[in-house]
Amino acid sequence: MLETIAFYLFATVLTLSALRVITARNPVHSVLFLILAFFNAAGLFVLLGAEFVAMILVIVYVGAVAVLFLFVVMMLDINFVEMRKGATRYMPLGVLLGGVLLTELTMLFGAWKFSPQIAQNAASPTPAIDSVENTHAIGAILYTDYVFIFQVSGLVLLVAMIGAIVLTHRVRAGVRHQKVSDQVNRKISDSMDIQSIKPGSGA
Amino acid sequence: MTAAVWNWSEIIPALPEVFLAVSAMVLLVLGACQKNGGLKLIGTLSVAALAVAMVLTLKADWTPVTVFSGQFLSDGFSSYMKILVLGGLIATIMLSMRYLVQENMGRFEYPVLILLAGVGMMIMLSANSFLSLYVGLELQSLSLYVLAAIRRDDAKSSEAGLKYFVLGALASGMLLFGISLVYGYVGAVGFDAVADTLAAATAEGTVAPGAIIGMVFILVAIAFKVSAVPFHMWTPDVYEGAPTSVTALFAIVPKVAAIGLLMRLLFDPFVSLMPDWQQVVWFLSAASMAWGGFAGIVQGNIKRLFAYSSIGNIGFALVGIVAGTADGVAASILYMTIYMIMTAGTFGIIMMMRRNGVAVERITDLAGLSKTHPACAYAMTALMFSMSGIPPLAGFFGKLVVFQALIASGFYVLAVLGLVSSVVAAYYYLRIIKVMFFDEAEAPLDRESAPMRTLVLTLSIIFIAGFVLVPETLMHTSQEAAAVLLPAND
Amino acid sequence: MELVAVFAPLVGFLIAFLFGKQIGPRGAQFVTCTGMILAAVMSCALFYSVILQNDPRVLHLATWIAAGDFEVQWALRIDQLTVIMMCVINIVSACVHVYSVGYMSHDPARARFMAYLSLFTFAMLMLVTANNMVQLFFGWEGVGLASYLLIGFWSHKPSANAAAVKAFVVNRVGDFGLLMAIFTTFVVFGTVQFDAIFTMAPDKTVDTFNFFGFEIHALTLICLMLFVGAVGKSAQLGLHTWLPDAMEGPTPVSALIHAATMVTAGVFLITRFSPLFEYAPFAREIVCIVGAMTALVAATIGLTQFDIKRVIAYSTMSQLGYMFFALGVSAYSAAMFHLMTHAFFKALLFLGAGSVIHAMSNEQDMRRMGGIWKYIPTTYVLMWVGSLALAGVPFFAGFYSKDLILEAAFASGSWFGQMAFWMGIAAALMTAFYSWRLILLTFHGKPRASAETMAHVHESPNVMLIPLAVLAAGAIMAGSMFYGAFANSATSPGHTQDIKHVGDMVSIWDKDYFFGDSIKVLPENDSVVAAHHVPKWVKLLPILAGALGIGFAFVVYMFREGMADKIVRAFKPLHTLFYNKWYFDELYNFLFVKPCFVIGKLFWKGDKNVIDGLGPDGVSKLSRGIAGRLGVFQTGYMFHYAFVMMIGLIGLVSWFIYRTMGS
Repeated sequence: MLETIAFYLFATVLTLSALRVITARNPVHSVLFLILAFFNAAGLFVLLGAEFVAMILVIVYVGAVAVLFLFVVMMLDINFVEMRKGATRYMPLGVLLGGVLLTELTMLFGAWKFSPQIAQNAASPTPAIDSVENTHAIGAILYTDYVFIFQVSGLVLLVAMIGAIVLTHRVRAGVRHQKVSDQVNRKISDSMDIQSIKPGSGA
Repeated sequence: MTAAVWNWSEIIPALPEVFLAVSAMVLLVLGACQKNGGLKLIGTLSVAALAVAMVLTLKADWTPVTVFSGQFLSDGFSSYMKILVLGGLIATIMLSMRYLVQENMGRFEYPVLILLAGVGMMIMLSANSFLSLYVGLELQSLSLYVLAAIRRDDAKSSEAGLKYFVLGALASGMLLFGISLVYGYVGAVGFDAVADTLAAATAEGTVAPGAIIGMVFILVAIAFKVSAVPFHMWTPDVYEGAPTSVTALFAIVPKVAAIGLLMRLLFDPFVSLMPDWQQVVWFLSAASMAWGGFAGIVQGNIKRLFAYSSIGNIGFALVGIVAGTADGVAASILYMTIYMIMTAGTFGIIMMMRRNGVAVERITDLAGLSKTHPACAYAMTALMFSMSGIPPLAGFFGKLVVFQALIASGFYVLAVLGLVSSVVAAYYYLRIIKVMFFDEAEAPLDRESAPMRTLVLTLSIIFIAGFVLVPETLMHTSQEAAAVLLPAND
Repeated sequence: MELVAVFAPLVGFLIAFLFGKQIGPRGAQFVTCTGMILAAVMSCALFYSVILQNDPRVLHLATWIAAGDFEVQWALRIDQLTVIMMCVINIVSACVHVYSVGYMSHDPARARFMAYLSLFTFAMLMLVTANNMVQLFFGWEGVGLASYLLIGFWSHKPSANAAAVKAFVVNRVGDFGLLMAIFTTFVVFGTVQFDAIFTMAPDKTVDTFNFFGFEIHALTLICLMLFVGAVGKSAQLGLHTWLPDAMEGPTPVSALIHAATMVTAGVFLITRFSPLFEYAPFAREIVCIVGAMTALVAATIGLTQFDIKRVIAYSTMSQLGYMFFALGVSAYSAAMFHLMTHAFFKALLFLGAGSVIHAMSNEQDMRRMGGIWKYIPTTYVLMWVGSLALAGVPFFAGFYSKDLILEAAFASGSWFGQMAFWMGIAAALMTAFYSWRLILLTFHGKPRASAETMAHVHESPNVMLIPLAVLAAGAIMAGSMFYGAFANSATSPGHTQDIKHVGDMVSIWDKDYFFGDSIKVLPENDSVVAAHHVPKWVKLLPILAGALGIGFAFVVYMFREGMADKIVRAFKPLHTLFYNKWYFDELYNFLFVKPCFVIGKLFWKGDKNVIDGLGPDGVSKLSRGIAGRLGVFQTGYMFHYAFVMMIGLIGLVSWFIYRTMGS
């Protein structure tokens, strides 16, 4: 009973806040609603018994990604109202396409059936959820059966990193760094030259 | 705990990929330690690494074997396509080196990104589950997005990168949605499980619409990657905006990998849905051939022109897939091989186009080339004749085999459409020849020697001209590769 | 060894052609000449191992085409016939290569020239080493291409360009015949491999071929088609008009291509297909008649020409006629014999003529020569040798081969053989006459050239004379040395039998051993064997004719000045006919070229107005219109692109939803 109430609560808030993400006029509000949506999704995961995924969602998406969004949105001076103008022109077409696709997917969902072999195909390689906690279970499968995918994902992230550096990092000319060793090694003779000038002869 | 005991011998079939990934990382560190770019060193080493990976693939055991819990499959088909991809990457780097220096974009990350894209493509070709397909595809795409935008100070290049990225993300979304639909029906992501389940369902006539729609979504995403109409819209803009060396890469390599992936998908997990996907591919193929032929006519920019040319050519390659037979697949493979080599040669010429040290890319800039650079003009003529499919050059045989396969399977309408499109497309190839030989030049293009580029160009010309003498070797190899994919038909 | 002999010219060509600029003309000359000499030496080695040790072989290189039942391989068929051709080609070609170093020494594009020569040689070798009809066709077209390039080598001369085009177009008619022969062969035999065709031929003698309701004897049809190809390439009557014009090319080209090698490809072709021709008597009859007429007509034209190279060109045509009528009476070995000796002495004559032209500052008209024998004695002597061989004077090469042909024709016993014999005798008379007319007009009498030219007359350098000497040696000795190999037979009477018993080595001078299985003659057709039984007068008549011709020439051009003009006046109509080459060019111009132009113009006009208007022009307008429409989509806005993608996706999804759920 309590679980059912919790589910509908999380689900309602999740949907509503997701809607607000794309309708809010102020982009900062959008991001804040996004964070709210993430929290609710995490709640749904907890209800499913997937506490590890729930925590990851909060830590990674809320803690890092959404906060980063917030920074970007606040730092960049983008006139969102101006950008919206063009979009309204295409609204009817967009709505039409979205509507058609939604109808079709609904039909699809309505007539959905599973393969008779699905139980056999989907047989989980992990032990039952009550015998092992799911952090352990994910770890056990992630580094064995899915180690290949895991490693390639690492490569994808590497590319993302290289890309970020290539596209944004620039070496500026004329930037002066403090060179400690140069300062320490500096001698009097490098900067001063003592001349003995006879009085009366002029420089 | 059912975790499998890790066995190091599992890595052997994936040795080329592992080697390439490791060398990419080593080169990255090495490049970071170099002063003033280090492009030359890293570029040379990248070519060496690709060559080693190619040798590893060649020497590997080509009997089908799956490793990494069924995620990764190595067989004759994947190995053949990988060799193509690696050869294409080597050619691209060799073509680009001089251009990168001239255009002042010589950064060591450039070849490293190409290596990583190469790893991605090889993983795509060896994918045996939707998961590895997806990560391979993303690894490849992400590297290419960055490469397209690598001239970040150039508005066109940045725009190209961004367009490619956003639309690519949309395509990835479709791909994932399609995969989830298929997963929803089958309950697994491994190709073997999907193939078995769908085969059983087809036999009983109970395939759910969900699985078919999922497949359509997946096909659409791949169609985006091979730039088949109507998912091609990014191609002309990205080809034009990206630096020419990157355009060369786009035109030469990723399509081969994506076509290979498409073949794998259609003839492995989705083979029992053949009547359904034939309709999709028929449409993509017809639209691509027609659009590539007609829209190319009015282009003035040579890079844009070759964007349309690549769209059209993908249409022809898809023709072989539509046929749905081992002969068709073999024809498609052969077509892609020939197309890749011709394109490498063509971009060798396009990269040569500079006037007073500035790269030019209008078709009219080629005017009078026959007088100022006769060797280049003749090479380009051979390439264009081959592209338009005039015998006895290699391009003719490419077209011949795909249409043979198509007609053998009884798709006459598509064959007629293809022939008409190829006549239309011949117009713009021949126009280039006309411009080179009969138009007066305003000012001659620069004269320069880039030995690597000349080498690639020469090899390409030798191939297209000499193919008629020894067609058997390549035809046989492509047939063997196709037979791996369609064992039943052979 | 085989590979070197065949591919050395190709390597030479590739190096000289691709890197001509880098290695310079000297380098190109060196590379190509080295390649050719190497190939020549190797073919002599092959002569030893294949013919003398009787070891014909086939070398498989690679599979070329395999489509269904149709399989073609790259292979080198090295049998006796091939080796004879290879020796001739490579030796003459080597001589011509070396000669060209001197002859073309002032030409700026000599590197390219050498490259083309090597290309030609390679193509010719591909032709003779072919193991199937498709590879043969490859070589056939290759020599055509090289010939076109070389005739038009001096592309600044419009006449050279016209001649090159003419050669190419006329040859195309012949090539069409050869192509048809290949197709027909494939239909009849189901293969294009020589071995298979030749073994099957005896079983196909009764096969017929339905052609528009006519029942045609299949083998005869194939043989006639082959003969059409041979007529084109070997400039036999009907398709001969290109050969004299081809003399516009540099003289070494005329020597190599239009005397020694390419024009003999037709003879080779028919000899190669002797297993088919043996079962097609009607085709042989045609071959014989055309050959005999060519020999006669060409000789009559040769009597009247004044261009030194054209005279030799017509003589080439006439000699080819001899070879063909020999083929027609199944005297294949005699034809090959004449082919070989002719290659030597005709190349010698051409190169000698080149030497004269070189000495006379590029003058080719004999009316402006004369009296130069004192200045260029070596050339003079060598031209004598060549002419003696050509006229069939005893103990020179031409004597043996020409006599053998004439005797075989007589001995064949058929009416066309008899006719060919008499026409051949007449041609022999004329041959001797025009040969000496050439020598006397060129070297003797009063100098008719300008004083300035005469002052420049000089002997050619050694690099040109040495190849001439090599060829002269061939022209003197090739006949007597190889007579037995081409003529004798174990079944022929008399001395041959005795020699066979002397020892194993001697028995190789016997045509059955010499050719092995590479040519096939049915015993009842073997006119070469029969040639040994002809009456004495038949053997003597050619010599007599030659002597008469020579003597007559001396009388007309040396002892009785002005007699030539009198004769011309006396036989005005005949002379006009001969001088204008029997009006072949005019006839063809009237029959084919003009109507083609008229029809062409008609179609062009109609095409432009009707077909272009509705077809290409209309279509291209439409295409551009479509292209413009399509361009509208390419706005550059990302969301437009995204929309198009979504529309495409939704379209496909809707289609499948409709298909799977709608019904």
